[in-house]
Amino acid sequence: MTNSNTFEPLEVHLYGQLRQLIKHSKPDEDTVMMVDFIENETFREFVQRLGLSQSDIGDCFIDGTLAKHSTILMPGARIGLFPFNMVLLCGGQHLKGHGYTRDDVDIDYY
Amino acid sequence: MSKILRVNMNDLSHKWESVPSEHAHLAGRAFTTHYVNSEVDPMCHPLRAHNKVVISPGLLAGTLAPSSGRLSVGAKSPLTGGIKEANAGGLTATRLAKIGLRGIVIEGAPSGDDWYSILLGKDSCEILKTNDYAGIGLYDLIGKIWKKYDSKPGIIGCGIAGQRLLRGAGIFGNNIENSDPGRYAGRGGLGAVLGSKRIVTIISDDSEGSRPEPKQKEKFEQGRKALVEALNKHPVTGKLNNDEGKPFGGLKNYGTNILQNILNEAGGLPTLGFSSGRFKDAAKISGEAVHDLVDRTKKKFGDKSEGRYAHSCHPGCIMACSNAVPYEETGKLHVSPLEYESAWALGANLGVGKLYDVAELNRLCNDLGLDTIEAGNTIAMFMEGGIIPYGDGTAAIKLLKKAYDSKSVDGKLVCSGTKIAGETLGVTRIPVVKGQALPAYDPRPIRGIGVTYATTTMGADHTAGYTIAAEILGIKGEVTDPRKMEKADLSRAFQATTAYIDSSGYCLFIAFCILDDDSGFAGMKDTFDGFIGHEYDVTEYGLKVLKNEREFNRNAGFTKEDDRLPEFFHTEPLPPHNVTFDVSDEELDKVFEGM
Repeated sequence: MTNSNTFEPLEVHLYGQLRQLIKHSKPDEDTVMMVDFIENETFREFVQRLGLSQSDIGDCFIDGTLAKHSTILMPGARIGLFPFNMVLLCGGQHLKGHGYTRDDVDIDYY
Repeated sequence: MSKILRVNMNDLSHKWESVPSEHAHLAGRAFTTHYVNSEVDPMCHPLRAHNKVVISPGLLAGTLAPSSGRLSVGAKSPLTGGIKEANAGGLTATRLAKIGLRGIVIEGAPSGDDWYSILLGKDSCEILKTNDYAGIGLYDLIGKIWKKYDSKPGIIGCGIAGQRLLRGAGIFGNNIENSDPGRYAGRGGLGAVLGSKRIVTIISDDSEGSRPEPKQKEKFEQGRKALVEALNKHPVTGKLNNDEGKPFGGLKNYGTNILQNILNEAGGLPTLGFSSGRFKDAAKISGEAVHDLVDRTKKKFGDKSEGRYAHSCHPGCIMACSNAVPYEETGKLHVSPLEYESAWALGANLGVGKLYDVAELNRLCNDLGLDTIEAGNTIAMFMEGGIIPYGDGTAAIKLLKKAYDSKSVDGKLVCSGTKIAGETLGVTRIPVVKGQALPAYDPRPIRGIGVTYATTTMGADHTAGYTIAAEILGIKGEVTDPRKMEKADLSRAFQATTAYIDSSGYCLFIAFCILDDDSGFAGMKDTFDGFIGHEYDVTEYGLKVLKNEREFNRNAGFTKEDDRLPEFFHTEPLPPHNVTFDVSDEELDKVFEGM
C-alpha cells in the first residue's frame, strides 16, 4: 500500500451526531477532521475505517457530488459526512442514486 | 355537507352555495385552481376588482389523517401575472373544514377607505368593518384578535405590505399558539390581492363545528394508520429521539433547515445573490444551530424558555418540522418558524451569517406580511445594486424596517418583489422566473429543480415540482425506472404528483416516508379515496390541475418563451462545481408539450 503521508489528507466535514467524532465540536461551527488519504480507497471502505456502519450514514458528499459506495476517493477530497437522519429533502432529492436510502435507482439530477 | 361561501366585496354581501356534485373531489389547490381558471378574467388587473381570492382547505383537513391541515389560497398573481396557488399550515384549514366550508370565493372590491374582516362560524358569516386592524404589525394584530375572541380562532390575512398593494406580500396565518403570524401562504404576492379587496383578516371559529367524516370509514382508517406508522418510524419524519435517547427524526430535531448544511456540502446553496454554491457561515444559521440555541436557552431559563423544535405547524401534524427560535438573552420567542427557505433567503443569499440577524429579518417579514423568499431576494437586489453591502445584516434590518413608513420609497421598494427592485436599481442579475424569485436551490448544479422553476405555472417555485415525487412515481407508479424517463416526462410527472398532494391537504413532506415505505404510499391514497368514496389516480388527478393552470396562463398571454431561466444562469458558472444551467430550450418545451 502506498504511504498515505505523501498525499494530501482528506478534509472531512462532520454534521449532526457525527460531530461527536471530534471532541468539543459545536453544532453552529464547521467541524472538520483531517484524515489520511489511502490510495484506491472507496467511500464504503472509508466509512468503515472511521468505525461507522452504512446504517449510520445519510446523504454524503464528495467534493459536492453525492457519494456512492464505490466512489474512489482522491487526495485532498472534501467529504461531507451526514448521519442517517440527515438527507436531502425537496429540491435535492433527485441528486440521489447513491445507494443508501435506495439501492435500485441510479440517477443524477433527477 | 360541505359548502362554498361567496363573498362580494362590492356590496359587502355573501351567499352560500352547495358544492356541485361534479366538483366534489376538488379541494385545496385543485379547488382554487378550478375557480380561478373558471371565473377570473386572465387579462384582468390582479389588484383590482375583477380578480378573485379563492381559499380552500385541503380535502383531508380537519380529519384525523396525519399532517393533513394545509390551506390553499389562489388568485391571479400580481407578481407573475399568471395563476397562483400558495399553501400553508396554521389553524385556518382545520377550522374551515370543521365548519363545513370547502372553499371561499372573494370577489369585487369596495369603494372607500375602510378595512374589513370576515368572521366565520358554523353557518355564519359576518363582514365587519375593522379599521383598527389595518396599519399595525401582525404580532400585535393576532394578539388583539385572540383577546377579543376567546374561541382561539384561525386567522389569515394580509399585513402592511399587502394593504399597500405591494407585490412581495404573502397571506399570513396564526400558529397554533397564536404566538406568531408566521404560517405563510407566502408566494406570488397574494397578500396584495387580499389587500385590494380591503380585507385585513379572515377569522374562523369552529366551536360549533364537527370533524368531517369519511365516506368509506374503514378504508380511511386503514390508510390513516398505515401512514401514521410509516411517518413515525422513518428517520426523517419519525420521533424526536430513539429508545436510547439519541436524536432520531431529522425534521423534528432540525426542521427543514436541516438542508442548510446539506445543500452547502452539495455546492448548491445559492450564496451572495446566486454567485456561489457554498456559504462559509452556513453552519451558523443551520437547523443544527437553532437546535443548539433552543437547548442552551432551555438549560438557562427552564420552563420559561419559549424556544422549540419538534413544533407542529398545524393541529394533527405528527412530523412537527416547525420550530420557535428564542432570543439568546431571554429565552423568549424571537420568531416561529425559521424555515430553510427563509434562513437561506435572509441568510446565505445575503451573506448574512448571524443567526440573530436572520431571525430578526424573518420576524420583520412576518410582522409586515411579507413572503420571506421574495423579501430576501429583494434585499439581495439592494446589495447587488450597491445600495447596501452584502453580508451586512444590520443594514438589511434597517432597510426592511423602512417598510413601516408609508412614505418611504425604499420601504415600498423592498416590499415590491425582486423583479421590480432589481430593475429599478439597475441590476441585470435578477433571479426570477415569470416575475417570481427563485428559492433556495441553485439550478445550475441541481438542474432538475431548474426545469421545475422554468416550466411551472407558478413562477420559480421549488414546491411546484416536489422532486421527491420523481422517485415515488419511479418506484410505485406506472413508471418503473426513472432512468428510462426523459427529463421532461419526469418533471411533468412530479409536478402532477405535487398538485395532487397540494389538493389533499397533506404536507408535501409526507412524501418523504412514502418514498421508502409502500404502506405509507397506500395509506396516503387510501385516506384520500376513502374520504371521498371514489378511487382517484394520483397522476391523472394532478395533471388535470396542471392543465387548468396552463390554460389560465395561456389565456393570460404566457408562451413557452416564459418558461425560461434568466440569462445569467446559462452564462455564469457557479462555483464550486463551475457549471451552468445547460438544459436546452427544446427540452424545457417538452415538459408540457401538448398541454
